[in-house]
Amino acid sequence: MSWIDGARARLHLLFAKHAAESRMDEEIAFHVEMESQRLMREGGLSPDEARRRALVTFGGVTQHKEELRAGRGVAWLGGLSLDFRLALRMLVKYPGLTLVAVVGMAVAVAIAAVTFSAIYTILNGGLPVSEGDRVVAIRNLDRRIGNEGRQTHLHDLATWRQSMTTVSELGAYRIVDRNVISGTGPSESARVAEMTASGFRIARTPPLVGRYLHDDDERPGAEPVVVIGYDLWQSRFGGRLDIVGHIIQLGDTKHRVIGVMPRGFAFPVNNRLWTPLRLNPAAYEPGHAPSIDVFGRLADGASIEDARRQAVTIAQRLAAAEPATHATMRTRVVPYTHAFIDNAEATWTYHLIQALITMLLVVIGTNVAILVYARTASRMGEIAIRNALGASRRRVVTQLFAEALALSLIAAAVGNIIAHFALLNIDAALMRIGGEQLPYWLRVHLTPGAMLYSVGLAVLAAVIVGVVPALKATGRHVRASLQHLSAGTSGMRLGRSWTVLVIAQVTIAVAVLPLAIAGISNWRKQQSAEEKLAAKKVLTATLFLDPDTASARYVALRGELMRRLEGEPGVTDVALASAAPASEPAERTEAEDKSTSVVYGVRIDRRYFDVLDIPVLAGRAFEAGDVTGKTTSVVIVNRSFARNLFAGANPVGRRIRVAPMNARPANDTLAPAPWEEIVGMVPDFPVDSTTPEPRVYRPMLPSDAEPATLVVRLKGVNAAPFTQTLRELTVATDPMLRIDRIKTLEQNLEDESSATRLFIIVVELVTLSTLLLSAAGIYALMAFTITRRRREIGIRAALGAGPRRLLVGVLSRVMAQIAVGILIGTAIAAFLDDRINGGWTGRRPQVVLPGVIALMIGVGLITAIGPARRALGIQPTEALRAE
Amino acid sequence: LTIRAQTDALRGSLDLIILKTLSLAPQHGWGISLRLQQTSKGVLEVNQGSLYPALQRLEKDGLITSEWGTTDNHRRARYYRITASGRRALGEELESWKRFAAGLDAVLRST
Repeated sequence: MSWIDGARARLHLLFAKHAAESRMDEEIAFHVEMESQRLMREGGLSPDEARRRALVTFGGVTQHKEELRAGRGVAWLGGLSLDFRLALRMLVKYPGLTLVAVVGMAVAVAIAAVTFSAIYTILNGGLPVSEGDRVVAIRNLDRRIGNEGRQTHLHDLATWRQSMTTVSELGAYRIVDRNVISGTGPSESARVAEMTASGFRIARTPPLVGRYLHDDDERPGAEPVVVIGYDLWQSRFGGRLDIVGHIIQLGDTKHRVIGVMPRGFAFPVNNRLWTPLRLNPAAYEPGHAPSIDVFGRLADGASIEDARRQAVTIAQRLAAAEPATHATMRTRVVPYTHAFIDNAEATWTYHLIQALITMLLVVIGTNVAILVYARTASRMGEIAIRNALGASRRRVVTQLFAEALALSLIAAAVGNIIAHFALLNIDAALMRIGGEQLPYWLRVHLTPGAMLYSVGLAVLAAVIVGVVPALKATGRHVRASLQHLSAGTSGMRLGRSWTVLVIAQVTIAVAVLPLAIAGISNWRKQQSAEEKLAAKKVLTATLFLDPDTASARYVALRGELMRRLEGEPGVTDVALASAAPASEPAERTEAEDKSTSVVYGVRIDRRYFDVLDIPVLAGRAFEAGDVTGKTTSVVIVNRSFARNLFAGANPVGRRIRVAPMNARPANDTLAPAPWEEIVGMVPDFPVDSTTPEPRVYRPMLPSDAEPATLVVRLKGVNAAPFTQTLRELTVATDPMLRIDRIKTLEQNLEDESSATRLFIIVVELVTLSTLLLSAAGIYALMAFTITRRRREIGIRAALGAGPRRLLVGVLSRVMAQIAVGILIGTAIAAFLDDRINGGWTGRRPQVVLPGVIALMIGVGLITAIGPARRALGIQPTEALRAE
Repeated sequence: LTIRAQTDALRGSLDLIILKTLSLAPQHGWGISLRLQQTSKGVLEVNQGSLYPALQRLEKDGLITSEWGTTDNHRRARYYRITASGRRALGEELESWKRFAAGLDAVLRST
């Protein structure tokens, strides 16, 4: 029987143990009873005597039972469970070590499980349709600009359909945003998939009601039809079975419902409305067609590699035939879900992150290993005695392994629980932020793989933490250990790696602490009641129009909507900006003295500051003259901006310009951006951002046609009912005008800070575990040093050394290590703080850094108290008696 | 003969006897021991309890199987039954036993 079979049988027997025991008891009872009856029958014995004789003939019942148990392999398990009992007793006996090791490893396991689950979901999240792994995306990439060539897809689709024999069917879609208007519910904005009928065949999911799209529906001039998703059917039509034939208006077109797709189906991205894709390639210039995405199902027997090879051949042919659009085009075939994580670089990044996390785990594992090693060292005597009494090396190693395994399994369990809740939060955040843009199959959760991975890590950690020290401890000569035992010292040493580790840990703790402290202080920062109220009263929403529409029309419709909004009784004022407060895009700005800073830039109209109640602190607000013409050259900055670039001096009258975000390549011939003059300064807004952010405001031109954010100030604080009013007003203005991301300023700030908050929690957990581990490491090192140098301390004390000299003499090395760690760590923290404009210490390096140093010294001193007292308590006579 | 060899020989012959008994009909543990006493006319007086480890061993080796059944007087009992590979093993064991007995007989006659 192989080792695995044996293990399986034992595992089975472990669970079947109870059943086997009762079977054994019943069989023996039956036997003895039958035998007694026979004796009574044939020998005429009394029942008691018959039973006694039967038991004698049977032999020692207990002995036979033991033999049966041994035959089942339970004896071995009995030994193992003894080890585990001992292990659990050890965990309770050393609560400090248990706590430190479990917290340290649990944090590591949690981080690993979260990243593993998230990365696994992103990289391997399969399309939840029949044989979803055989659905592929086909896309052109322009080599020259390293960019998408989606505008060529419409024209190439016909070629691919003809020539790609490795793909059985091809489909295409594009996502358009439309207002859903029907008599049976409020109008809302939705992402509609305009898809070829073949898309449904590729997805291999039959409709629940009615039919899905047919090729005929794609014909120009055919009746507009729509297939709806299960949730929409339920929410808008109450799941009525006669849904087919109902009319839904999408934007300005009325569509007839032809079918309902089953629950959970949201192919191709995250859609619940499907209309036929009716784009005619002939209507567009090659290379300038509307962007579509192409996908297909691999033909039977064809692999994705076959499809790739064929795509390359076709691309070469196209490059020769149509050099204008295809000379630099490269065709890629990727698994469908990979099209959404975009490229190989991203995949590589994910794997790099995973590798880094694993390294973090190894560091923490090593750390815990050394702590356990130090404890094992203190138990050398016990191990030596067990050895001398005949315990095999294997037995001792098994016991230490069991101890370590118990420790790491508890840590893995705790870590997985943390990971589970963290992932729930992450998933909720992703759903909130991603919404309908997030592919429907990307739901992060704790995957079984991650749990298995963490159990594997736990076993690996147990090997590092338990077996390695155990081998070292048992590998020495027993005699030598016994001698040390009598001398009251341990023969084990802690070498250079230990020194490096203590220094590294102190360094990391000191370097990361400022961020953790700054994080806590930011987290604590509360808005005043007044500001909270104001944030509830302000509603922001983004206004879109179909990209095909001319921008002049968009601007006109936007103006019309704003006028209507102003006429609403619940509205105080309306302003316009290029982005919502706290969601402004980043840019790099340059002052005349060449100093640069990353700032957040937004274009605003003249009412913006009034609507948000932002006073002008210096200079002036924007005036009518600022927004005439095509460009503007005046800006307003906030207080943080002035502090970062002008050391807090009045910025009015100074000049700045936009600088490239990254270092400029040598061959860049772009002219520098024109200078802009600062005409005013406002306070930081919003105040609740995690760190005060520099902002630059530019006047919005009347011709700015990009999706704009409406900033609406309400009379009351109850924004929810107004949300629907806003939607209806928008649709009433024009059915093609769409409004989305309607949030109060409060929600905006909440969403913006939630990601930061998660990051801060992670940093704090890591810092806490590092701090704990390094404190424990320092403690172990000192305790260990004292134990080892017991005799020396005794002699010194006998020769008249005072307590101070004793401690300095013994602990100087540890103190030096801590000092070195603090120095390097402070230097790193100061460097990082400088690089990110004080973000590391929350802009108070002069307070935070000395605080961190004091904290570390404090931790060092507290951990030193116990060992120092022990050192001073050593009696010379006692220490020397062993000689 | 060493003690170990003796036990092995005993154990081996016990296995043989059990397989032989079960080859006639499925039987429970007590039934096997009863039959053993009757057919050997008391010559092979084994410790009845040692039957069960042997049964367990044979079952683990796949030579016999067991299941719960009911006796004639409606008692629940574990019945053992010989398997196909058990029958094969019995055949081989019987062959080698016969050869061994014949060999031993020949040696004993010549001296």
